[in-house]
Amino acid sequence: MNTVADFLNNSYRVHPDKIAVIDNDSKLTYSKLNQGVNEFSSFLNKFPKNSVVSLLFDNTHEFVISYLGVINSGCIAHLIPTGISQKNLMDQISSAKPKLVLSSANHFSKISEMESKSIEKLRFSEVGKTNSEERKPNPTDYAYLIYTSGTTSSPKGVPITHSNCVFTTKNIVKTLQYSSNDIDILPLPLSHSFGLGCLHTSLYVGSTIVLHQSMDIPQILNSIKKHNASTLAAVPSTLSKIVSNNLEDTSNSLSKLRLIITNSTFFPPETIQKLKKILNDGKVATYYGLTEASRSTFMIFDSTEKIESVGKPSDGISLKLVSNNDESPTGEIWIKGKNVIEKYWNEEYKENFNDGWLKTGDLGRVDDDGHLYILGRVDDLINISGEKVYPQEIERAVMVLSGIDDVVAVPMKHKVFGEVVKLLVKKSVKSDVSKTDILTHCIKNLERFKVPAKIEFVEDFPRTDYGKIKRFMLK
Amino acid sequence: MTLDDDVKKIFLDTFPTLSESDFQWSKTQKEYENWDSFAQLNIITLAEAKFEITFSDDEIDSISSAKNLLDCIKSHV
Repeated sequence: MNTVADFLNNSYRVHPDKIAVIDNDSKLTYSKLNQGVNEFSSFLNKFPKNSVVSLLFDNTHEFVISYLGVINSGCIAHLIPTGISQKNLMDQISSAKPKLVLSSANHFSKISEMESKSIEKLRFSEVGKTNSEERKPNPTDYAYLIYTSGTTSSPKGVPITHSNCVFTTKNIVKTLQYSSNDIDILPLPLSHSFGLGCLHTSLYVGSTIVLHQSMDIPQILNSIKKHNASTLAAVPSTLSKIVSNNLEDTSNSLSKLRLIITNSTFFPPETIQKLKKILNDGKVATYYGLTEASRSTFMIFDSTEKIESVGKPSDGISLKLVSNNDESPTGEIWIKGKNVIEKYWNEEYKENFNDGWLKTGDLGRVDDDGHLYILGRVDDLINISGEKVYPQEIERAVMVLSGIDDVVAVPMKHKVFGEVVKLLVKKSVKSDVSKTDILTHCIKNLERFKVPAKIEFVEDFPRTDYGKIKRFMLK
Repeated sequence: MTLDDDVKKIFLDTFPTLSESDFQWSKTQKEYENWDSFAQLNIITLAEAKFEITFSDDEIDSISSAKNLLDCIKSHV
Protein backbone atom coordinates (compact mmCIF):
# COMPACT_ATOMS: atom_id res chain seq x y z
CA MET A 1 0.00 0.00 0.00
CA ASN A 2 1.54 3.25 -1.17
CA THR A 3 -1.18 5.84 -0.64
CA VAL A 4 -4.02 6.47 1.80
CA ALA A 5 -6.44 5.62 -1.02
CA ASP A 6 -4.98 2.09 -1.02
CA PHE A 7 -6.03 1.59 2.63
CA LEU A 8 -9.73 1.59 1.75
CA ASN A 9 -9.27 -0.21 -1.58
CA ASN A 10 -7.47 -3.05 0.13
CA SER A 11 -9.87 -3.43 3.07
CA TYR A 12 -12.86 -3.23 0.73
CA ARG A 13 -11.47 -6.09 -1.36
CA VAL A 14 -10.72 -8.28 1.67
CA HIS A 15 -14.01 -7.84 3.57
CA PRO A 16 -16.58 -5.79 1.69
CA ASP A 17 -19.48 -6.61 4.02
CA LYS A 18 -17.72 -5.76 7.25
CA ILE A 19 -18.78 -2.62 9.14
CA ALA A 20 -16.15 0.06 8.56
CA VAL A 21 -17.64 3.10 10.29
CA ILE A 22 -20.27 3.57 12.98
CA ASP A 23 -21.56 6.97 13.97
CA ASN A 24 -24.63 7.21 16.18
CA ASP A 25 -27.04 4.68 14.69
CA SER A 26 -25.54 4.81 11.22
CA LYS A 27 -23.37 1.91 10.07
CA LEU A 28 -21.37 1.84 6.87
CA THR A 29 -19.84 -1.33 5.42
CA TYR A 30 -16.53 -1.20 3.54
CA SER A 31 -18.52 -1.82 0.37
CA LYS A 32 -20.88 1.10 0.97
CA LEU A 33 -18.01 3.31 2.06
CA ASN A 34 -16.06 2.45 -1.08
CA GLN A 35 -19.08 3.18 -3.25
CA GLY A 36 -19.68 6.55 -1.54
CA VAL A 37 -16.03 7.50 -1.85
CA ASN A 38 -15.87 6.62 -5.55
CA GLU A 39 -19.00 8.63 -6.30
CA PHE A 40 -17.65 11.54 -4.34
CA SER A 41 -14.25 11.51 -6.00
CA SER A 42 -15.86 11.35 -9.45
CA PHE A 43 -17.41 14.73 -8.69
CA LEU A 44 -14.05 16.19 -7.65
CA ASN A 45 -12.30 15.14 -10.82
CA LYS A 46 -13.50 18.37 -12.42
CA PHE A 47 -10.79 20.11 -10.39
CA PRO A 48 -7.12 19.80 -11.38
CA LYS A 49 -5.11 17.16 -9.53
CA ASN A 50 -3.59 18.43 -6.25
CA SER A 51 -6.31 21.06 -5.84
CA VAL A 52 -7.18 21.86 -2.24
CA VAL A 53 -10.65 20.95 -0.99
CA SER A 54 -11.52 22.30 2.45
CA LEU A 55 -13.68 20.15 4.72
CA LEU A 56 -15.71 21.32 7.71
CA PHE A 57 -17.42 18.36 9.34
CA ASP A 58 -18.12 16.79 12.70
CA ASN A 59 -17.06 13.20 13.34
CA THR A 60 -19.53 11.53 11.01
CA HIS A 61 -19.51 9.12 8.09
CA GLU A 62 -19.97 12.24 5.91
CA PHE A 63 -16.48 13.32 6.99
CA VAL A 64 -15.02 9.91 6.18
CA ILE A 65 -16.62 9.76 2.72
CA SER A 66 -15.64 13.36 1.91
CA TYR A 67 -12.08 12.98 3.17
CA LEU A 68 -11.44 9.72 1.33
CA GLY A 69 -13.20 11.09 -1.73
CA VAL A 70 -10.80 14.01 -1.83
CA ILE A 71 -7.85 11.68 -1.27
CA ASN A 72 -9.07 9.25 -3.94
CA SER A 73 -9.37 12.00 -6.54
CA GLY A 74 -5.74 13.07 -6.09
CA CYS A 75 -6.78 16.32 -4.39
CA ILE A 76 -5.58 17.64 -1.01
CA ALA A 77 -8.00 17.55 1.94
CA HIS A 78 -7.76 20.70 4.05
CA LEU A 79 -9.22 19.73 7.44
CA ILE A 80 -10.92 22.47 9.44
CA PRO A 81 -11.88 22.02 13.11
CA THR A 82 -15.60 22.62 13.59
CA GLY A 83 -15.01 24.92 16.55
CA ILE A 84 -12.96 27.31 14.44
CA SER A 85 -13.52 31.04 14.83
CA GLN A 86 -14.66 32.97 11.77
CA LYS A 87 -11.37 34.90 11.70
CA ASN A 88 -9.24 31.75 11.81
CA LEU A 89 -11.46 30.16 9.18
CA MET A 90 -10.88 33.11 6.86
CA ASP A 91 -7.13 33.05 7.59
CA GLN A 92 -6.93 29.33 6.77
CA ILE A 93 -8.98 29.67 3.58
CA SER A 94 -6.86 32.60 2.50
CA SER A 95 -3.68 30.55 3.04
CA ALA A 96 -4.91 27.19 1.71
CA LYS A 97 -6.61 28.63 -1.41
CA PRO A 98 -9.13 25.81 -1.92
CA LYS A 99 -11.14 25.27 -5.10
CA LEU A 100 -14.03 23.96 -3.05
CA VAL A 101 -15.17 24.30 0.55
CA LEU A 102 -17.47 21.54 1.65
CA SER A 103 -19.34 21.15 4.91
CA SER A 104 -22.09 19.26 6.65
CA ALA A 105 -25.46 21.02 6.66
CA ASN A 106 -25.12 22.17 10.28
CA HIS A 107 -21.87 24.05 9.58
CA PHE A 108 -22.74 25.47 6.17
CA SER A 109 -23.62 28.93 7.52
CA LYS A 110 -19.97 29.40 8.50
CA ILE A 111 -18.73 28.96 4.95
CA SER A 112 -21.66 30.56 3.16
CA GLU A 113 -20.66 33.91 4.70
CA MET A 114 -17.30 33.86 2.95
CA GLU A 115 -17.01 36.46 0.22
CA SER A 116 -15.04 34.72 -2.47
CA LYS A 117 -16.31 34.21 -5.98
CA SER A 118 -13.47 31.90 -6.98
CA ILE A 119 -14.30 29.30 -4.29
CA GLU A 120 -17.19 26.91 -4.71
CA LYS A 121 -19.15 26.24 -1.51
CA LEU A 122 -21.31 23.16 -1.10
CA ARG A 123 -23.11 21.07 1.46
CA PHE A 124 -22.28 17.36 1.54
CA SER A 125 -25.77 16.51 0.22
CA GLU A 126 -25.17 18.68 -2.86
CA VAL A 127 -22.29 16.55 -4.14
CA GLY A 128 -23.44 14.10 -6.80
CA LYS A 129 -21.89 11.37 -8.90
CA THR A 130 -20.51 12.41 -12.28
CA ASN A 131 -19.04 10.43 -15.12
CA SER A 132 -15.39 11.28 -15.22
CA GLU A 133 -12.12 9.46 -15.68
CA GLU A 134 -10.75 7.72 -12.61
CA ARG A 135 -7.75 9.46 -11.08
CA LYS A 136 -5.44 8.29 -8.32
CA PRO A 137 -2.92 10.03 -6.08
CA ASN A 138 0.82 9.39 -6.15
CA PRO A 139 2.82 8.58 -2.98
CA THR A 140 4.63 11.91 -3.13
CA ASP A 141 1.41 13.94 -3.48
CA TYR A 142 0.01 15.77 -0.50
CA ALA A 143 -2.86 13.87 1.11
CA TYR A 144 -4.06 16.46 3.60
CA LEU A 145 -3.37 19.86 5.08
CA ILE A 146 -3.87 20.72 8.74
CA TYR A 147 -3.15 24.04 10.39
CA THR A 148 -1.44 23.74 13.75
CA SER A 149 -3.57 24.86 16.65
CA GLY A 150 -1.37 27.84 17.45
CA THR A 151 -0.68 27.10 21.10
CA THR A 152 2.85 28.44 20.78
CA SER A 153 2.70 30.80 17.83
CA SER A 154 0.60 31.69 14.81
CA PRO A 155 -0.96 28.64 13.08
CA LYS A 156 1.26 26.93 10.51
CA GLY A 157 -0.06 25.00 7.52
CA VAL A 158 1.22 21.43 7.69
CA PRO A 159 0.93 19.46 4.42
CA ILE A 160 1.26 15.69 4.81
CA THR A 161 2.18 13.46 1.87
CA HIS A 162 0.75 10.02 1.25
CA SER A 163 4.23 8.63 1.94
CA ASN A 164 4.25 10.34 5.35
CA CYS A 165 0.83 8.81 6.15
CA VAL A 166 1.69 5.31 4.96
CA PHE A 167 4.93 5.28 6.95
CA THR A 168 3.24 6.55 10.12
CA THR A 169 0.27 4.19 9.81
CA LYS A 170 2.53 1.16 9.39
CA ASN A 171 4.44 2.27 12.48
CA ILE A 172 1.24 2.56 14.53
CA VAL A 173 -0.04 -0.83 13.39
CA LYS A 174 3.25 -2.57 14.09
CA THR A 175 3.90 -0.96 17.47
CA LEU A 176 0.37 -1.16 18.87
CA GLN A 177 -0.57 -4.39 17.06
CA TYR A 178 -3.80 -3.21 15.48
CA SER A 179 -5.68 -5.85 13.48
CA SER A 180 -8.90 -6.35 11.54
CA ASN A 181 -10.41 -7.83 14.72
CA ASP A 182 -10.30 -4.47 16.46
CA ILE A 183 -13.28 -2.28 17.20
CA ASP A 184 -11.93 1.20 17.83
CA ILE A 185 -13.70 3.89 19.87
CA LEU A 186 -12.76 7.40 18.74
CA PRO A 187 -13.93 10.41 20.75
CA LEU A 188 -11.37 12.64 19.04
CA PRO A 189 -11.87 15.12 16.19
CA LEU A 190 -10.99 13.68 12.80
CA SER A 191 -9.78 17.14 11.80
CA HIS A 192 -6.85 16.65 14.19
CA SER A 193 -3.75 14.57 13.51
CA PHE A 194 -4.39 12.19 16.45
CA GLY A 195 -7.96 11.36 15.43
CA LEU A 196 -7.14 11.18 11.74
CA GLY A 197 -4.24 8.82 12.41
CA CYS A 198 -6.69 6.50 14.19
CA LEU A 199 -8.98 6.53 11.14
CA HIS A 200 -6.02 5.71 8.86
CA THR A 201 -5.06 2.82 11.15
CA SER A 202 -8.57 1.41 11.17
CA LEU A 203 -8.85 1.58 7.37
CA TYR A 204 -5.37 0.11 6.93
CA VAL A 205 -6.09 -3.03 8.97
CA GLY A 206 -9.77 -3.23 8.05
CA SER A 207 -11.19 -2.87 11.55
CA THR A 208 -14.35 -1.05 12.67
CA ILE A 209 -14.17 2.52 13.93
CA VAL A 210 -16.87 4.01 16.17
CA LEU A 211 -16.98 7.79 15.86
CA HIS A 212 -18.02 10.03 18.75
CA GLN A 213 -18.86 13.68 18.33
CA SER A 214 -17.88 14.66 21.85
CA MET A 215 -15.85 13.49 24.82
CA ASP A 216 -18.96 12.73 26.91
CA ILE A 217 -17.77 10.15 29.44
CA PRO A 218 -21.01 8.14 29.94
CA GLN A 219 -21.44 7.96 26.16
CA ILE A 220 -17.88 6.69 25.69
CA LEU A 221 -18.31 4.03 28.39
CA ASN A 222 -21.67 2.94 26.97
CA SER A 223 -20.20 2.76 23.50
CA ILE A 224 -17.30 0.56 24.62
CA LYS A 225 -19.78 -1.88 26.12
CA LYS A 226 -22.36 -1.71 23.36
CA HIS A 227 -19.87 -2.37 20.58
CA ASN A 228 -17.66 -4.76 22.56
CA ALA A 229 -14.76 -2.47 21.70
CA SER A 230 -11.11 -3.44 21.88
CA THR A 231 -9.34 -0.07 21.70
CA LEU A 232 -9.92 3.47 22.92
CA ALA A 233 -8.05 6.58 21.78
CA ALA A 234 -8.49 9.67 23.93
CA VAL A 235 -6.62 12.67 25.24
CA PRO A 236 -5.23 12.51 28.81
CA SER A 237 -7.86 14.87 30.25
CA THR A 238 -10.64 12.55 29.04
CA LEU A 239 -8.86 9.52 30.51
CA SER A 240 -8.29 11.31 33.82
CA LYS A 241 -11.98 12.15 33.99
CA ILE A 242 -12.90 8.55 33.18
CA VAL A 243 -10.80 7.11 36.01
CA SER A 244 -11.99 9.70 38.51
CA ASN A 245 -15.56 8.91 37.52
CA ASN A 246 -17.54 6.95 40.08
CA LEU A 247 -19.94 5.43 37.61
CA GLU A 248 -20.46 1.82 38.55
CA ASP A 249 -19.73 0.43 35.15
CA THR A 250 -16.48 2.32 34.50
CA SER A 251 -14.36 -0.71 35.30
CA ASN A 252 -16.71 -3.10 33.51
CA SER A 253 -16.56 -1.02 30.37
CA LEU A 254 -12.81 -0.55 30.29
CA SER A 255 -11.61 -3.89 31.61
CA LYS A 256 -11.97 -5.75 28.31
CA LEU A 257 -10.10 -3.22 26.20
CA ARG A 258 -6.81 -4.48 24.80
CA LEU A 259 -5.43 -0.96 24.29
CA ILE A 260 -5.88 2.59 25.49
CA ILE A 261 -3.80 5.04 23.48
CA THR A 262 -3.29 8.69 24.25
CA ASN A 263 -0.96 11.45 23.17
CA SER A 264 0.60 14.06 25.29
CA THR A 265 3.70 15.74 26.48
CA PHE A 266 2.28 15.00 29.92
CA PHE A 267 0.16 12.01 30.90
CA PRO A 268 -0.52 12.13 34.67
CA PRO A 269 1.18 9.08 36.26
CA GLU A 270 -1.76 8.52 38.63
CA THR A 271 -4.09 8.21 35.61
CA ILE A 272 -1.76 5.63 34.04
CA GLN A 273 -1.68 3.64 37.29
CA LYS A 274 -5.46 3.68 37.64
CA LEU A 275 -5.99 2.63 34.02
CA LYS A 276 -3.51 -0.22 34.36
CA LYS A 277 -5.37 -1.47 37.43
CA ILE A 278 -8.68 -1.45 35.57
CA LEU A 279 -7.47 -3.16 32.41
CA ASN A 280 -7.28 -6.95 32.64
CA ASP A 281 -4.74 -7.76 29.96
CA GLY A 282 -4.85 -4.51 28.09
CA LYS A 283 -2.08 -2.02 27.58
CA VAL A 284 -1.86 1.72 28.14
CA ALA A 285 0.27 3.62 25.65
CA THR A 286 1.15 7.12 24.61
CA TYR A 287 3.12 8.70 21.83
CA TYR A 288 4.97 11.90 21.10
CA GLY A 289 4.77 13.67 17.82
CA LEU A 290 3.73 16.93 16.28
CA THR A 291 1.41 17.17 13.29
CA GLU A 292 4.64 17.85 11.39
CA ALA A 293 6.24 14.61 12.65
CA SER A 294 3.42 12.30 13.59
CA ARG A 295 4.00 9.46 16.08
CA SER A 296 7.74 9.93 16.43
CA THR A 297 8.00 7.94 19.67
CA PHE A 298 5.80 5.38 21.38
CA MET A 299 5.63 4.40 25.03
CA ILE A 300 3.81 1.30 26.22
CA PHE A 301 3.49 1.37 29.99
CA ASP A 302 4.37 -2.25 30.80
CA SER A 303 5.67 -1.41 34.25
CA THR A 304 5.77 1.50 36.65
CA GLU A 305 9.23 2.43 35.44
CA LYS A 306 9.78 5.47 33.23
CA ILE A 307 6.16 6.41 33.68
CA GLU A 308 6.83 10.03 32.73
CA SER A 309 8.57 9.12 29.48
CA VAL A 310 7.02 9.38 26.02
CA GLY A 311 9.08 6.39 24.90
CA LYS A 312 11.65 5.64 22.24
CA PRO A 313 11.79 6.68 18.59
CA SER A 314 9.82 4.48 16.21
CA ASP A 315 11.63 2.38 13.60
CA GLY A 316 13.10 4.57 10.86
CA ILE A 317 12.89 7.76 12.90
CA SER A 318 15.96 9.59 14.23
CA LEU A 319 15.88 11.97 17.10
CA LYS A 320 18.55 14.22 18.60
CA LEU A 321 18.69 16.90 21.26
CA VAL A 322 20.41 20.16 20.39
CA SER A 323 21.60 22.89 22.69
CA ASN A 324 23.66 25.85 21.47
CA ASN A 325 24.03 24.18 18.06
CA ASP A 326 25.56 21.01 19.55
CA GLU A 327 24.09 17.66 20.44
CA SER A 328 23.40 17.52 24.14
CA PRO A 329 21.75 15.20 26.71
CA THR A 330 19.14 17.92 27.23
CA GLY A 331 17.99 20.31 24.55
CA GLU A 332 15.61 21.07 21.71
CA ILE A 333 14.20 17.92 20.09
CA TRP A 334 15.09 17.55 16.41
CA ILE A 335 13.41 14.79 14.38
CA LYS A 336 14.25 13.19 11.04
CA GLY A 337 12.36 10.41 9.27
CA LYS A 338 9.75 9.52 6.67
CA ASN A 339 7.03 10.78 9.00
CA VAL A 340 8.49 14.31 8.94
CA ILE A 341 7.23 16.94 6.51
CA GLU A 342 9.72 18.50 4.10
CA LYS A 343 8.25 21.98 4.34
CA TYR A 344 5.34 24.00 5.63
CA TRP A 345 2.52 25.14 3.39
CA ASN A 346 3.49 28.05 1.16
CA GLU A 347 7.10 27.27 2.13
CA GLU A 348 6.83 29.35 5.31
CA TYR A 349 8.98 28.87 8.42
CA LYS A 350 12.01 27.54 6.54
CA GLU A 351 14.08 28.27 9.64
CA ASN A 352 12.39 25.30 11.37
CA PHE A 353 14.34 22.86 9.18
CA ASN A 354 18.02 21.99 9.12
CA ASP A 355 19.44 19.41 6.72
CA GLY A 356 16.28 17.28 6.82
CA TRP A 357 15.83 17.68 10.58
CA LEU A 358 12.67 19.30 11.93
CA LYS A 359 13.36 21.59 14.89
CA THR A 360 10.34 20.92 17.08
CA GLY A 361 10.68 23.75 19.58
CA ASP A 362 10.12 21.15 22.31
CA LEU A 363 12.71 20.61 25.01
CA GLY A 364 13.59 17.10 26.05
CA ARG A 365 16.06 14.82 27.70
CA VAL A 366 16.99 11.23 26.92
CA ASP A 367 17.96 8.71 29.59
CA ASP A 368 20.61 6.01 29.32
CA ASP A 369 18.10 3.59 27.75
CA GLY A 370 17.13 6.06 25.07
CA HIS A 371 13.75 6.99 26.57
CA LEU A 372 12.63 10.53 25.80
CA TYR A 373 11.19 12.87 28.42
CA ILE A 374 9.49 16.11 27.41
CA LEU A 375 10.52 19.09 29.52
CA GLY A 376 8.57 21.90 27.90
CA ARG A 377 8.93 24.40 25.09
CA VAL A 378 12.09 26.29 24.18
CA ASP A 379 10.17 29.58 24.10
CA ASP A 380 8.47 28.99 27.45
CA LEU A 381 11.56 28.73 29.67
CA ILE A 382 11.58 31.15 32.57
CA ASN A 383 15.00 32.60 33.37
CA ILE A 384 15.28 33.31 37.11
CA SER A 385 18.70 34.73 37.95
CA GLY A 386 20.22 32.53 35.26
CA GLU A 387 18.37 29.41 36.40
CA LYS A 388 16.24 28.00 33.57
CA VAL A 389 12.86 26.89 34.86
CA TYR A 390 10.42 24.74 32.92
CA PRO A 391 6.88 26.06 33.51
CA GLN A 392 5.51 22.53 33.15
CA GLU A 393 7.38 21.45 36.28
CA ILE A 394 5.58 24.10 38.31
CA GLU A 395 2.25 23.41 36.63
CA ARG A 396 2.49 19.67 37.31
CA ALA A 397 3.29 20.33 40.96
CA VAL A 398 0.27 22.61 41.35
CA MET A 399 -2.14 20.38 39.40
CA VAL A 400 -1.76 17.77 42.14
CA LEU A 401 -3.92 20.01 44.36
CA SER A 402 -7.63 19.37 44.16
CA GLY A 403 -9.97 22.13 43.05
CA ILE A 404 -7.85 23.28 40.11
CA ASP A 405 -8.91 22.83 36.49
CA ASP A 406 -5.98 24.42 34.68
CA VAL A 407 -2.80 26.24 35.53
CA VAL A 408 -0.22 28.08 33.48
CA ALA A 409 3.14 29.39 34.71
CA VAL A 410 4.56 32.36 32.81
CA PRO A 411 7.55 34.66 33.30
CA MET A 412 7.06 37.98 35.08
CA LYS A 413 9.69 40.74 35.03
CA HIS A 414 11.45 41.28 38.36
CA LYS A 415 13.92 44.01 39.28
CA VAL A 416 16.24 41.69 41.22
CA PHE A 417 15.92 38.27 39.57
CA GLY A 418 15.23 39.35 35.99
CA GLU A 419 12.24 37.06 35.79
CA VAL A 420 10.12 35.26 38.35
CA VAL A 421 7.18 32.88 38.07
CA LYS A 422 3.67 34.17 37.74
CA LEU A 423 0.95 31.55 38.06
CA LEU A 424 -2.44 31.80 36.38
CA VAL A 425 -4.98 29.43 37.89
CA LYS A 426 -8.43 28.38 36.75
CA LYS A 427 -10.26 26.95 39.73
CA SER A 428 -12.85 24.21 39.50
CA VAL A 429 -16.48 25.08 40.12
CA LYS A 430 -17.12 25.43 43.87
CA SER A 431 -13.39 25.06 44.60
CA ASP A 432 -12.26 26.74 47.82
CA VAL A 433 -8.53 26.46 47.13
CA SER A 434 -6.79 29.72 48.10
CA LYS A 435 -3.65 31.45 46.87
CA THR A 436 -1.95 30.69 50.19
CA ASP A 437 -2.86 26.98 49.82
CA ILE A 438 -1.13 26.98 46.44
CA LEU A 439 1.91 28.91 47.66
CA THR A 440 2.34 26.74 50.74
CA HIS A 441 2.13 23.64 48.56
CA CYS A 442 4.72 25.09 46.17
CA ILE A 443 7.10 25.95 49.01
CA LYS A 444 6.88 22.35 50.19
CA ASN A 445 7.31 20.80 46.76
CA LEU A 446 9.50 23.10 44.69
CA GLU A 447 12.89 24.75 45.03
CA ARG A 448 12.56 28.26 46.46
CA PHE A 449 13.30 30.11 43.24
CA LYS A 450 10.53 28.20 41.43
CA VAL A 451 7.83 29.24 43.88
CA PRO A 452 5.46 31.70 42.15
CA ALA A 453 5.91 35.35 43.08
CA LYS A 454 2.38 36.11 42.00
CA ILE A 455 -0.81 34.11 41.60
CA GLU A 456 -3.86 35.23 39.69
CA PHE A 457 -7.18 33.40 39.50
CA VAL A 458 -8.67 33.54 36.01
CA GLU A 459 -12.09 32.64 34.63
CA ASP A 460 -10.52 30.80 31.70
CA PHE A 461 -7.60 30.96 29.29
CA PRO A 462 -7.46 32.09 25.67
CA ARG A 463 -7.77 28.87 23.71
CA THR A 464 -7.27 27.56 20.21
CA ASP A 465 -10.05 26.12 18.10
CA TYR A 466 -9.04 22.73 19.50
CA GLY A 467 -9.43 23.97 23.08
CA LYS A 468 -5.72 24.11 23.86
CA ILE A 469 -4.43 27.05 25.90
CA LYS A 470 -2.69 29.77 23.87
CA ARG A 471 0.26 30.06 26.18
CA PHE A 472 2.08 32.66 24.13
CA MET A 473 -0.81 35.10 24.66
CA LEU A 474 -0.36 34.95 28.43
CA LYS A 475 3.21 36.19 28.63
CA MET B 1 -6.89 33.13 63.76
CA THR B 2 -5.44 36.45 64.87
CA LEU B 3 -3.18 38.60 62.73
CA ASP B 4 -0.25 37.46 64.86
CA ASP B 5 -1.13 33.81 64.20
CA ASP B 6 -1.34 34.46 60.47
CA VAL B 7 2.09 36.09 60.34
CA LYS B 8 3.59 33.33 62.46
CA LYS B 9 2.11 30.75 60.07
CA ILE B 10 3.71 32.54 57.10
CA PHE B 11 7.11 32.04 58.74
CA LEU B 12 6.43 28.41 59.65
CA ASP B 13 5.26 27.71 56.10
CA THR B 14 8.23 29.48 54.52
CA PHE B 15 10.78 27.76 56.75
CA PRO B 16 9.58 24.14 57.16
CA THR B 17 12.49 23.36 59.52
CA LEU B 18 11.47 26.17 61.87
CA SER B 19 9.60 24.83 64.92
CA GLU B 20 7.01 26.80 66.85
CA SER B 21 9.28 26.87 69.88
CA ASP B 22 12.11 28.40 67.83
CA PHE B 23 9.94 31.13 66.39
CA GLN B 24 10.74 34.59 67.74
CA TRP B 25 9.24 37.91 66.63
CA SER B 26 12.52 39.75 66.93
CA LYS B 27 14.73 37.07 65.30
CA THR B 28 16.36 38.77 62.33
CA GLN B 29 17.08 37.58 58.80
CA LYS B 30 20.75 37.02 59.58
CA GLU B 31 19.83 34.62 62.40
CA TYR B 32 17.91 32.35 60.03
CA GLU B 33 19.95 29.69 58.24
CA ASN B 34 18.03 29.86 55.01
CA TRP B 35 16.44 33.29 54.78
CA ASP B 36 17.94 34.20 51.43
CA SER B 37 16.56 36.54 48.76
CA PHE B 38 14.22 33.84 47.42
CA ALA B 39 12.88 33.07 50.90
CA GLN B 40 12.29 36.82 51.26
CA LEU B 41 10.29 36.70 48.01
CA ASN B 42 8.28 33.72 49.32
CA ILE B 43 7.44 35.57 52.57
CA ILE B 44 6.33 38.66 50.69
CA THR B 45 4.26 36.67 48.19
CA LEU B 46 2.56 34.67 50.94
CA ALA B 47 1.75 37.80 52.95
CA GLU B 48 0.45 39.68 49.91
CA ALA B 49 -1.74 36.72 48.92
CA LYS B 50 -3.00 36.16 52.47
CA PHE B 51 -3.95 39.77 53.18
CA GLU B 52 -4.64 40.85 49.59
CA ILE B 53 -2.21 43.74 49.85
CA THR B 54 0.79 44.94 47.84
CA PHE B 55 3.99 46.04 49.55
CA SER B 56 6.08 48.91 48.22
CA ASP B 57 9.75 48.33 47.34
CA ASP B 58 10.79 50.21 50.49
CA GLU B 59 8.56 48.03 52.65
CA ILE B 60 9.95 44.89 51.08
CA ASP B 61 13.51 46.05 51.76
CA SER B 62 12.63 46.84 55.38
CA ILE B 63 11.27 43.42 56.26
CA SER B 64 13.98 41.54 58.11
CA SER B 65 12.05 39.96 60.98
CA ALA B 66 8.60 38.60 61.75
CA LYS B 67 7.92 41.77 63.74
CA ASN B 68 8.81 43.94 60.71
CA LEU B 69 6.38 41.97 58.60
CA LEU B 70 3.62 42.24 61.21
CA ASP B 71 4.09 46.03 61.40
CA CYS B 72 4.04 46.37 57.62
CA ILE B 73 0.85 44.34 57.34
CA LYS B 74 -0.79 46.36 60.15
CA SER B 75 -0.15 49.54 58.18
CA HIS B 76 -2.15 48.08 55.27
CA VAL B 77 -5.11 46.39 56.95
